[in-house]
Amino acid sequence: MKNILIKFFALMMLFAFAFTVNAAASEHAVESTKASTHQVETYKSQPMGDMVISFLKSTGIVALVHPRANEMSATGKPMSNFSKGLGRIIMILVTFLLFWLAIAKGFEPLLLLPIAFGGLLANIPIAGIGGPHGFLGVIYQAGLSNELFPIIIFMGVGAMTDFGPLLSNPKTALLGGAAQFGIFGTLVGAMVLAQMGLVDFTLKQASAISIIGGADGPTSIFIATKLAPELLGAIAVASYSYMAMVPIIQPPIMRALTTDAERRIKMTTLRHVSRLEKLIFPLLVLGLAILVLPESTPLIGAFMFGNFLKESGVVERLNDTLQNSLINITTIFLGLGVGSKLAADQFLVPETLFIMVLGIIAFAVGTAAGVLMAKLMNLFPGHKVNPLIGSAGVSAVPMAARVSNKVGMEYDRTNMLLMHAMGPNVAGVIGSAVAAGVLISMFQH
Amino acid sequence: METNLILEGIKFMFLGMGTVFVFLVVMIACMNIMSSIINRYFPEPQLNEDVTTSNSQANNKKIIAAITAAITYHREG
Repeated sequence: MKNILIKFFALMMLFAFAFTVNAAASEHAVESTKASTHQVETYKSQPMGDMVISFLKSTGIVALVHPRANEMSATGKPMSNFSKGLGRIIMILVTFLLFWLAIAKGFEPLLLLPIAFGGLLANIPIAGIGGPHGFLGVIYQAGLSNELFPIIIFMGVGAMTDFGPLLSNPKTALLGGAAQFGIFGTLVGAMVLAQMGLVDFTLKQASAISIIGGADGPTSIFIATKLAPELLGAIAVASYSYMAMVPIIQPPIMRALTTDAERRIKMTTLRHVSRLEKLIFPLLVLGLAILVLPESTPLIGAFMFGNFLKESGVVERLNDTLQNSLINITTIFLGLGVGSKLAADQFLVPETLFIMVLGIIAFAVGTAAGVLMAKLMNLFPGHKVNPLIGSAGVSAVPMAARVSNKVGMEYDRTNMLLMHAMGPNVAGVIGSAVAAGVLISMFQH
Repeated sequence: METNLILEGIKFMFLGMGTVFVFLVVMIACMNIMSSIINRYFPEPQLNEDVTTSNSQANNKKIIAAITAAITYHREG
């Protein structure tokens, strides 16, 4: 009897359970039918003609000819119809010009190609690749707006740099300092333009532009993102295209400022530099930067880190990574991120033209200052300096040093200036990093 | 804006160039001091070089011959 009662209860429980499950399931079923009716409500069946028209409205051609009223720029501001339509077409043609310069003319292709392709992508309507959710915008946010990529590039450049020539003839470092006059001379020039009311550059913007005269791509990008991110595209393009044009810009200035006898000056052979000197030098410079100008230590610190790894000789794998894979990967991202700033609304502005003009003046002034400094040094007793290596004081490693060597060989085929010119060349990198630190420190308060 | 921008620029120039030169002059001085200390107290051992030169005397002659040939070729071409 008791047994039957238990069985009965169990059966009841089973029923109850089954019933609740069933009820829940049916409730769920009701909900899902509700949801499906909801979906049916939003998706109206359209006639084929309407579908074709709405698709055509989303094509690039229509977006370029009849810009969408609600399309915002990458920074979230409204844009003029010009920078949504014709401006984009012009910019796409500009990127084709950059492709041509990079591929046919060999102008710094490693950076110009990623920059130009980034620019092409950033000017696509509707897709918003350069915007906050587009991949170029994400790259920009990840490593450019926080100045990370230029610093990583600097580590790689440090690992590629040999301070031997500078260590064996330290006084040539002064040439690298004189060439920084290009930066500050151009800053004054930009301020003159602003005072005359030709352009509306603030002191910050003028500083960011004038750093082009340092002839150092990563430094220019570092300063531009810090002081005037709205001008980054133009500054980076000017900086890299002028660096590529060093063999065209520099020789006429070098010839104009030197006599034939000066161009034939032979310099004493460089002494051997011990490994210990090379190993201590990066720490020495970093120590000085810490004491004199901490603002310059992000750049100098990264540079000397790369160099220290190289000279230590015990971390060949890391050194190799810095010099090759890391710098290559970062170059791709840096180029694309800079390219995102080639969007029409940011690049097709009158300021760009002034940046291009001021940039080339900065280069020319820097070159001239380096050459004149070498002539000044020859007035003092001691080993004579060939003024042609003064032009290598603008960084642009190693292009500027090669130009010095080439011009020197034109006048005396046995006069090898390359290693002598590498001294001011690497000093120029340090000099422009210091100049960058000065500019940053002046805007800190 | 009433501030004289040109004057500001010139101030920047003097401060900037001054800092760059002071930095480099101090750097040059330190480099000279460092080099003289290292060369006096921690000279690089020269022994290894002597051994290698005597071992590869024949090899060196070949290299010198190749370099001379390259230079004459370069001068003629």
